Amino acid sequence: TGGHTTEILRLLSCLSESYSPRHYIFADSDKMSEAKICSFEQKRAETFSNSQFTLDRIPRSREVRQSWTSSVVTTLYSMLYSLPLTYKLKPDLVLCNGPGTCVPVCISALLLRLLGIKRAIIVYVESICRVETLSLSGKILYYFSDYFIVQWPNLKEKYPKSVYLGRIV
Amino acid sequence: FRFKDSLAEDLRRADLVISHAGAGSCLESLEKGKPLVVVTNEKLMNNHQLELAKQLHRDGHVLCCNCSTLVETLQSMDLSTLKPFPPGQPEKFALFLDKVVGFQ
Repeated sequence: TGGHTTEILRLLSCLSESYSPRHYIFADSDKMSEAKICSFEQKRAETFSNSQFTLDRIPRSREVRQSWTSSVVTTLYSMLYSLPLTYKLKPDLVLCNGPGTCVPVCISALLLRLLGIKRAIIVYVESICRVETLSLSGKILYYFSDYFIVQWPNLKEKYPKSVYLGRIV
Repeated sequence: FRFKDSLAEDLRRADLVISHAGAGSCLESLEKGKPLVVVTNEKLMNNHQLELAKQLHRDGHVLCCNCSTLVETLQSMDLSTLKPFPPGQPEKFALFLDKVVGFQ
């Protein structure tokens, strides 16, 4: 969604073309991310001739402030979509930055790893908005990601297993 | 206007930005070097929006106020006290990721 998309595109901005093809997964309720992504990829295609990307939508896993118990249900529902999708894509790297959408995708990637089907590296970058506290996705994925990046020193102190690179968006 | 794809053009022409505490709005304005007054509404906002506004304010990059103090802030503000906001460095992320993934 919105801010998350803007941030993740900035994270992608300096990546080499080795990170290809790029598969974007976002919530079906998201109306604006597709345009931002296409615009980013169009610009990228001007520099890198063989630029490849795909777009996929999955049901939104959680509304803002949705209750815990119903979030588990909606996340499980999203997994009905994210699991076959992740299985199909078999990514080497899962990069996410916090929208609820990333939780079913990361869980799917972890399941594929547990089943010995594909081992993806899971990298989570917490949003620049998060200065003192982690998002709910962050709190969950702090334990399940391979690399957990925060952008403010307070969070590095509170979450010692995280990586602090300064502001990266 | 309702929803524009991009406020970049409007931002470029602005001398002052007054914005809610959304990260995108704040960061876009700061990156264009525009003086920014952030209006927070603690009742409506997710608390985390407030975190960024507070930090930016602590670091001297923005002026903060709420809806009721906005007019007073605009009347008494001194924009020269605002510190420039250095850009983020996605290249550091790229370097880190290259190491992690094994591209060197």
